[in-house]
Amino acid sequence: MIGNPEDPRKVFGKAVTDIALEQKNIVVLSADSGKSSGFGEFISAAPERYIECGIMEQAVVGIAAGLATAGKIPVFCAIAPFVTARPFEMFRNDLGYMRQNVKIVGRNGGITYSDLGSTHHSLDDFAIIRMIPGVAILSPQDPNEIRSSVKAMLEYDGPVYMRIGNGAIPNLFEETPFIIGKGRLIRSGSDVTIISTGTLTADTMAAAELLSNAGVSAEVLGMPSIAPLDGELILASAAKTGRVITVEEHYVYGGLGTMVADLLGQKLPIPIKKLGIPHAYATSGPYREILSKYGLDADGIAKETESFVNDR
Amino acid sequence: MTEKEIAALELYAVKCRINMLRMLRSSHHGHVGGAFSAMDIVTALYFYKMRIDPDKPQMPDRDRFILSAGHKCLCQYAALAERSYFKKEILDTYGKLDSKIPGHPDMRKLPGIEANTGALGHGLPIAAGMALALRMNKTGASVYVLMGDGELAEGSNWEAIAAAAHHKLSNLMVFVDFNGLQISGPVQEVMNLTPISERFRSFGWDVTDIDGNDMRQIVNTLDNLPAGGNKPIAIVAHTIKSRGLSFAENKVDYHYWNASDEQLDLAERELNVLAEAYGKVVEA
Repeated sequence: MIGNPEDPRKVFGKAVTDIALEQKNIVVLSADSGKSSGFGEFISAAPERYIECGIMEQAVVGIAAGLATAGKIPVFCAIAPFVTARPFEMFRNDLGYMRQNVKIVGRNGGITYSDLGSTHHSLDDFAIIRMIPGVAILSPQDPNEIRSSVKAMLEYDGPVYMRIGNGAIPNLFEETPFIIGKGRLIRSGSDVTIISTGTLTADTMAAAELLSNAGVSAEVLGMPSIAPLDGELILASAAKTGRVITVEEHYVYGGLGTMVADLLGQKLPIPIKKLGIPHAYATSGPYREILSKYGLDADGIAKETESFVNDR
Repeated sequence: MTEKEIAALELYAVKCRINMLRMLRSSHHGHVGGAFSAMDIVTALYFYKMRIDPDKPQMPDRDRFILSAGHKCLCQYAALAERSYFKKEILDTYGKLDSKIPGHPDMRKLPGIEANTGALGHGLPIAAGMALALRMNKTGASVYVLMGDGELAEGSNWEAIAAAAHHKLSNLMVFVDFNGLQISGPVQEVMNLTPISERFRSFGWDVTDIDGNDMRQIVNTLDNLPAGGNKPIAIVAHTIKSRGLSFAENKVDYHYWNASDEQLDLAERELNVLAEAYGKVVEA
């Protein structure tokens, strides 16, 4: 870990603001969600480019598309299910089909809005948004990656969906340029490849350490770019270790695990295990306790990986 | 406007209706009723009101036309072709594989199309975003939207209607093609949204009711839009479904029409008679 943990929403809002103060075609949209998305400074510094719309996420996505047709780069951040599941058709038609340069950011992704329950969890966003052709999906793993991915997102010409969490998270990596479509080899190993995304990468890295103590050599890949996915990195690692386990704060269906399974099924059929939330409405409660319940904390990931490796 | 100038616009509206028949010759089916009811409004916009240049379809300060009721695309294709945005031969591909004029408009296939509509309730939010950006960019450009009446049941429209008033988008003009009929029957029976004008007004819009098949009324309304106001504008255009197809007017069965060659011949003969009449006034 590097430095103190940071709030992903504040890091995100600050990163957009720093760029937007220089780049005047960036506009920020809010569905009564701007301040809680880290845009406090932006609201004071560039009120003429802050567009409050109230709680109407469907229209906000359409409005964002319209703004983009005239050269603006709209950024719209709100609670993840309300910018993905709620306005899905607007996302698909107005941003995807119309190929508009709009950046949609789902905060409090996964189960990070833990005790607020299933209406506020987002466990299907990767699955539904990756069905929209041409949308880049980013899932940065630490505050430094949020900063670098925001820059990449704003430079990318096309629709982007980024998912960030909630609650302070540690920095895992030094800040390096973010390349959409590239994964990260975090740790080399030989017995198994663990592929993780988003904030769970911290637990995955801790799990690899626990596994090492138990005599299992795990290779860890971090995937901050869900779409496009770094198939080359995955295939190279899978060819080396011979088995793959995926970790995500998402349903085990439709997200990273499914994408990796699709890839391996076609190119390199080897055993794969997918960790995530089972296809049911997740329980509510304290965040770490929910992770633990579904085996997504370091202990759970290590335990599942060990049994997967031993099940030869 | 003089009689002659109005007749010139009427002639364009007839020519556009003949263009729609040409597309129907290609496919023998299409969303006809709403395309014919809205044709006079669309003609007035493309041939009189909008600041556009078919040679510069991406001109940043152009006015925008958004066909929110994307299924009425025949009327937009007809106007774009008549206005020389593309060759009329493209009209003969309607309904064919890989056509540039699909059953709902696609902005990536043809110049002059500003949004991919068809799913109802999308056009107005997009148009509101455009109006905002055009105002921020100080272009002086306006956004004109054509909506269906049945479409107003979509909730996302009312989100955008609220947002447009809140943000004082006076460069946003919405025509509601109030022909009173949707697929399942009269709009008031399927889902009653009347009084449409009062609803827009209560959301903070400037509202006018007009006869949307009366060219002079349409033009007068466009000439007298409130200038320098701070409200978006709704024009509730009372129209006749399938206007211009004598055998189909006001009949819900022609919302989507499976057209025979005989019917198309009859319609074309009738429209040619009208064209000749308007042509004489124009040339007099």
